[in-house]
Amino acid sequence: MVELVPNLLRQEMARLAEQDARIDGRGQFEGREITLETDCLYNAEGSAKVTMGKTVVYAGVKFEIRTPWPDRPSEGSLMCGAELRPVAHRKYEPGPPSPESIELGRVVDRGIRESGCIDMNSLCIIPGEKVWGVMIDIHVLSDGGNIFDACGLAAIAALRTAIVPAERFDVGDDYTLSVNGTPIMASFTRVGGRYVYDPCEEEELGGDERIHITIGDEGHLHSLQKGLRGVFTPQEFAEIFSVAQNKCAELRKIVAKKEAN
Amino acid sequence: MGGYGDVQLLRDDGLRLDGRKLDESRPVSIQAGILPAADGSAMVTHGLNVAVAAVYGPMEAHPRKIQRQDRAVIDVRYNMAPFSTSDRIRPGFNRRSREISKVTAEALESVVLVERFPRSKIRVEIEILAAEAGTRCAGITAASVALADAGIPMRDMIVGVASGKIEDTVVLDLDKAEDNYGQADLPAGILPNTGEIAFLQMDGDLSPEEFDLAMEYNFKAAKEIHEIMVDALKSRYEEGDN
Repeated sequence: MVELVPNLLRQEMARLAEQDARIDGRGQFEGREITLETDCLYNAEGSAKVTMGKTVVYAGVKFEIRTPWPDRPSEGSLMCGAELRPVAHRKYEPGPPSPESIELGRVVDRGIRESGCIDMNSLCIIPGEKVWGVMIDIHVLSDGGNIFDACGLAAIAALRTAIVPAERFDVGDDYTLSVNGTPIMASFTRVGGRYVYDPCEEEELGGDERIHITIGDEGHLHSLQKGLRGVFTPQEFAEIFSVAQNKCAELRKIVAKKEAN
Repeated sequence: MGGYGDVQLLRDDGLRLDGRKLDESRPVSIQAGILPAADGSAMVTHGLNVAVAAVYGPMEAHPRKIQRQDRAVIDVRYNMAPFSTSDRIRPGFNRRSREISKVTAEALESVVLVERFPRSKIRVEIEILAAEAGTRCAGITAASVALADAGIPMRDMIVGVASGKIEDTVVLDLDKAEDNYGQADLPAGILPNTGEIAFLQMDGDLSPEEFDLAMEYNFKAAKEIHEIMVDALKSRYEEGDN
């Protein structure tokens, strides 16, 4: 369903931006309150639930045993997919995966994969014969804006709690999946002419292009994505990149705090 | 039904493997209004099952060919999340989820006052996040609470319950092992206020007497779960969070 963008909403966004204000009262780079739960789903080998404002997202990790690729006999695989099902918002319709949900899954996938937090060689069971395939499925239940960050956070938090179900597959004892890093995504949308962090639903509806930045523990970039119609300058990017560094470090602490409990 | 007769499902003391009595349900908890983007929503935890339902509408029914001139149509999608089962499920509709969606929609159309909303559509989305036998019943319960949470007028709510037969004994609310190795499963959707039945399926082998006892258990469970449904809705409005 194509949503109508009310001109009045766009005008209101421009007016608010002039006054350095946002429609829900936040500062330009202020995020919404986040809650993170882990180990919350019985059949998933790792799971997490993230709420950010009106956004609710679950991620679950499953494992399968597969034959390795012939050119990489000792490497397992990682796959991350997202579903934007009609449960999440009245704008989503049933049918095959939309371009939006494919983009979402792939951007989250790249951030985790390219951070190198999973050593693909550690997923080898018998070289050339059996390796683990790790699958992270993200399920958006309520889209209240900025599902990218919520999905990225749920995915890495679920992955970091995953237990490899070796006993069920008859290949040894269960063990905790080794995850060396916590890549975190920070997203910005142009609203009323300027970028804001963590856009809410109204800001996405009445805004323009968006930029997603995934940053690893060392402050390095691991994935970038510019989406929707619009252009930006290098100076604008430099500003949100430095904001993203701080936001990602804060979120990484939330994940670490959850794990320490 | 698997019907593997050689798996022991009843202990020597007459209780079930998880310590339940024959007519004892797994624990049920319900929360209403958990999905902010939806018009109404609910989460039902029934044993280890987790079912979430979201309701959107009444809204314009499109494509137009699904419109009914005299009433609303209820569009139900029952879907299992890929991580909800022991082996990952490939995303997308399958024959099982299509059938469950169809009979659930027909059950809900029997209680919702659909004639109040001609030419419109009410969307009910049921997502199973964790499955341990009995997801269609948990889904129906969740859908009923979500419809009430959305303020959709209904004659009654539907409570999803199931009984079955293990080791030639009728029991209430089969868990996963009992479902896999039992002899019969009788899920029902019961209207607790009127005592009517809006949803019924069965597979396996039941004598007429066993059927009567299984339905007696189902009605007993429906009464218990209905109280939890009402409490969930009440606490939603006590919080004043609309």
